[in-house]
Amino acid sequence: MDFSFSDEQLMFREQVLKFARKEIAPRAQQHDLESRFDWESWKRLGEFGILGLHFPEEYGGSGADVVTTVLASEALGESGVDGGLTLSYGAHTFLCADTIFAHGTEEQRRKYIPPLATGAKVGCMGLTEPGAGSDVASLRTRAERKGDTWVLNGSKMFITNGGIADVALIYAKTDPAAGHAGISAFIVEKGTPGFTVSRNLIKMGVHSSPTSELVFEDCVIPAENLVGSEGNGFMMAMQTVEWDRSALLAPFIGAIAFLIERCTRYAQQREQFGRPIAYFQGVRHKLADLKIFLEAARSLVYRIAWCKDQGRPLNHLEAAVAKLFVGDWSLGPTNDAMIIMGGYGYCHEYDVERIFRDSRLAPIGGGTSDVQKVLISRLM
Amino acid sequence: MNFDWTAEDLDFKSRVAALFDSESVTALEGLERAELPELKATTGMFLRRLSETGYLSLGMGPEAASETLRLMAGQEEVALFSGSLFLAVETTARLFGGLLKGFGEPEQVRDILEPLFRGEIVAAVAMSEPAGNEPGTSRTSAREDGDSFVVNGRKSFASNGPIADYIAVTGEVDGLLAVFLVEPRMEGVAVGTRLQTLGYNGVAVSSLDLTAVRVPRSRVLGPFRDAKPLEWLRQIDNLVLSVASVGLMHRTLAEARRHASGHVRDGKAVGKHQEVRFKLAEMLTLAQTAQLLAYRTAWLHATAADEAPTLIHCAKVFSAEASERVASLAMQIAAGDAYVSGNVVERGYRDAKYAAIAGTTSELARMSIAQDLLNLHRV
Repeated sequence: MDFSFSDEQLMFREQVLKFARKEIAPRAQQHDLESRFDWESWKRLGEFGILGLHFPEEYGGSGADVVTTVLASEALGESGVDGGLTLSYGAHTFLCADTIFAHGTEEQRRKYIPPLATGAKVGCMGLTEPGAGSDVASLRTRAERKGDTWVLNGSKMFITNGGIADVALIYAKTDPAAGHAGISAFIVEKGTPGFTVSRNLIKMGVHSSPTSELVFEDCVIPAENLVGSEGNGFMMAMQTVEWDRSALLAPFIGAIAFLIERCTRYAQQREQFGRPIAYFQGVRHKLADLKIFLEAARSLVYRIAWCKDQGRPLNHLEAAVAKLFVGDWSLGPTNDAMIIMGGYGYCHEYDVERIFRDSRLAPIGGGTSDVQKVLISRLM
Repeated sequence: MNFDWTAEDLDFKSRVAALFDSESVTALEGLERAELPELKATTGMFLRRLSETGYLSLGMGPEAASETLRLMAGQEEVALFSGSLFLAVETTARLFGGLLKGFGEPEQVRDILEPLFRGEIVAAVAMSEPAGNEPGTSRTSAREDGDSFVVNGRKSFASNGPIADYIAVTGEVDGLLAVFLVEPRMEGVAVGTRLQTLGYNGVAVSSLDLTAVRVPRSRVLGPFRDAKPLEWLRQIDNLVLSVASVGLMHRTLAEARRHASGHVRDGKAVGKHQEVRFKLAEMLTLAQTAQLLAYRTAWLHATAADEAPTLIHCAKVFSAEASERVASLAMQIAAGDAYVSGNVVERGYRDAKYAAIAGTTSELARMSIAQDLLNLHRV
């Protein structure tokens, strides 16, 4: 075993941290407060190369390995970038663009990946529906072949970037009787007749990331917009789990590192009863618990990333363990951070309140903690 | 980065695991109820078997820190089968042996280390005192007298004490740390009666009284100008306790799963009920997380990383508290069966508390972690 990172990986991580602290994080709080997507930060993330980091250079990326990509995602969280922007980045790069890259035709790759990798276009992925989330086989959105087109009907719920996406990767039933094997994936471009954003949802956290309900009413798309082979959609969606349990979890972990630094500094400056609160054991124990969680969670996420770099099939048990641990066990430390900051922690003036809200998504998004427990108990 | 064991690590791991056949497991069950002669015989038997794998000579002292991860590959196999045996072995090898190898002069300790590596002796380390363990507060002290030191003091707890051939006793000489190697047969050495403990009943623990014990200079490590031997001992002890906790989690989890698959309620195995499945999932999550954190901590220790001391505390606190939770969940799942004395889960439930209070307590470890953070992010 070797838990070291290469010099290049560490150097890039530091570059991302420095860049994001200077260019992105200072804008986070205001956009969260206004529940507004930060187009300027998006543009800068694209220019820096974050949005397409792992894609080959010929497609507008940098050819980074998965571990480097995870470290960059973690650095965004550690810099203080809000969970909304990192969520939008995750849905865009890993759930949408990477699926097109991994399963699409060369034409689809050439057409969609470069603008997605640079952020010139925004992507989203539509799987969840009002009546189907983790139970993917219950999807109701229907895609029917008519000549050299597909016609989509149905709706999608809780779609990150849904309201701002230029490219939507939509999962729909092509053979309702075939269960999981009857699901296929399609690219639907913004402005396609019959494709509308019915509403944007108001959420507890990740405010700067627009979450929407999408509606498809006799939405006609070209036959060539089918991604991968017909009936292969479930498998494709499951392959995004590798990213979901590594690069998408990493910002949550980075945010804990951010909280540690913020709270440790605050505890030295805030005085009560004639001394800095860092003097009190109750505060120190909370700081320690933040650190313990951070270190426990890191290895779980790095392991998923490293295995993907080795080209190994995803170990679903390890993936579910990582998701469950980061999701459920992060709630205590983020709560502790708020307690350390007291009234300030409860106010929007400090990022702690925002991170507290954003972190509540971790046990819900990408498969709830209960679903992870079902998976773990089935696979163990 | 590489999350795989090397081929050599795996070979070592499998050779250690191979020692624990069904006959060995039965012997280890008996360890928990054994009287001192049987306890010493069984512990000695496993020490000799382990010595054949090279287990006893790995990771001995600070100079051998690079072997920490390889060692952990084998340690977790021992800890999986018997927490008591694991602690008795580690006390002999890593704590006592490591102290001698790392801080003694070769000619001074050779005649003890050679039989120790062959598994022929059982040893103890006595640090804890009635007034506490803070550096500079030891009331065990010695004065030089010719070629000897005359030692007086009292130690509260010495694991392996009642069956030890040698005991390393920490104390002070003119305010400086020293370690005295004593034998129970020496005049003035009084090993207390075996203490009845909540858990780890296969480890014999006693107090130790030293009254004008004359220890030859050749059997004294130090005096040292700093507390490095103690700091090193605490780090190794905390690493060992992390592994013990991981082993305990896997052991109780396995028993809970066994019960869940065979015990029926409402016409189906209780393991088919979601309330039980969710508990098993939480147990596995905690066990895997603690295990991975222990590996990473061992690697940091092996590579002398600056953050290793902090991570050792993190791993120790996490694994200790996770093991209490896992043992409690296992008890809930296995219910009445687990509540019967001698059941793996019942024993694990009692054993689990030890890791949180032994070595560096969870409270002190948290204070230390926080201090490290305050130093790192100083305003």
